[in-house]
Order: sequence, then structure tokens, then C-alpha cells
Amino acid sequence: MTTLREALLDPTGAVEGQDDSTLSARPVTLKGLTVGLLDNTKPNAMHLLDEIAADLERDYGVATFKRYVKDYFGTPIKDELFQQIVNEVDVVITAVGDCGSCSAATVADGILFERAGIPTVSITSDSFAMSGQAMADVQGFPGFRFAMVEHPMASLDAAQIRGRADDIMPEVLRILGVTEEA
Amino acid sequence: MAEATSVDEALASFREMMATDGYLLTWSDAGDGKAVVKIEATDGACEDCLVPLPIMTNIMAKALAPTAYELDHVELPPGATH
Repeated sequence: MTTLREALLDPTGAVEGQDDSTLSARPVTLKGLTVGLLDNTKPNAMHLLDEIAADLERDYGVATFKRYVKDYFGTPIKDELFQQIVNEVDVVITAVGDCGSCSAATVADGILFERAGIPTVSITSDSFAMSGQAMADVQGFPGFRFAMVEHPMASLDAAQIRGRADDIMPEVLRILGVTEEA
Repeated sequence: MAEATSVDEALASFREMMATDGYLLTWSDAGDGKAVVKIEATDGACEDCLVPLPIMTNIMAKALAPTAYELDHVELPPGATH
């Protein structure tokens, strides 16, 4: 039997729910929620996620952050880790798609979580917007929204990463539908 | 009638994206209004970063839409695993 993840790896595969292109219910507020931070192993990915998390904790009342790391950036998340995250968090933020394969995979991961009912922000660099959007199109979810940071990410120092977090925060909140500060 | 966009113009932004990962994009006329897009690795190419073929094909087909050509197929570098 073809799993949803296998179908994402092979976009021609047919599987129930694959064409589901409805975003999961948005939380409006993050107060008291658990947010999963999914690092795809690209340089500075978790650093960017940590900066975003600091803002979300201080200004939006997130209760808990759980940090996860994929084993490989170029393909969608493995089933075991995917199920663990779905069971443990309310919202997912994943970064960073700063290459062709990883931008596509980051968007694919976001679509997987959305289809599992978890509001998700996938973050790619602006240089790879086409790759991310093409993955959304191929997966039958052309309206999947993802956030874009200025390329590059890998070579940034701490202050520059802080700047990227500042730049992207409004889009993160918009994608999550968050309108209420803590 | 508006003149069709040139293929080079249509592929420019994707060519730039591929170059970021160390790949060179070229195209050739396959006849009958078809275009073949070829991706070649340069010395600095990130092997694991290559856009997967279904995604590449999706992008190329859309990029060529305003041109006088349709995508025939995309050729990836020898040994590409995606």
C-alpha cells in the first residue's frame, strides 16, 4: 500500500487525500500551544528557528517548543518522525529550504503536516521560491503558502540570522493566522 | 498578435536558481515545437541539492508556456539520484 509520504516522493502516485488542498484550521493565538521546530540539517536552520521561537515565546505566549532534526534535507520527512511530531505538537515551523531539493522537501513536509491537521510554516530562501511552489503544484496543493527569507542563509552570522528572523516574523504569523499577542 | 517570449528569457530566472546550486542550464530545439532542457553539473555543484525531476519538469513546462515551445523532457546530469 502506498503511504502518503511515498506518494510525495513519487508525485505520480495516487493515494487517498493526496489532492486535499485545504489548510488546517488556524490557531488565531499561540498562547499555551506547543510548537515543533523542525531542522532540516541545513546550516543555520535551527539557529533561525531558535530566533523565531524566542519571539513567539516572548510576544505570543507559546508554552513549549519541541525541537526535531530530519536525517536528510533533500527528501520529505520519514514516517516515524512525522508521526512523532504530529502526536506531540500543535503547530510546526520548519527550515530551511535554501537549495533546490531541500526547498522542495521543506514544502512537501509542510503539506504533509497540513494534511495531518497541523498548521505549518515552511521556510525557504527566496532564491528557491520556484522549487517550493513547483512542489506545491505537483502535490495538488498550489495554494500552500510558505515563508521566504532572503538568500543566502548558510553563511550568516548571529546578527544576520536575527535580522532574517525579524524580516520573516510577520509572514510566519500571517501563514499561521495568528492575530493575538499574549 | 504579441510575439512569443524567447526561451532564454523564459528560463532566465530558473537558470539563476540552478546556478545557485552549481548547475548549468541549457536548452535545445528538438523539432516540432519541442524543447529539451539540459542540466549539467559544474565543478562546484551540490549533488544533494539538485531539484527532483518531477519538480524540475513542472517548473520547465510552466516556464516555457509563454514561448513558442513545449517541454519535451529534462535531462539531468549522469548519475543524478533524484
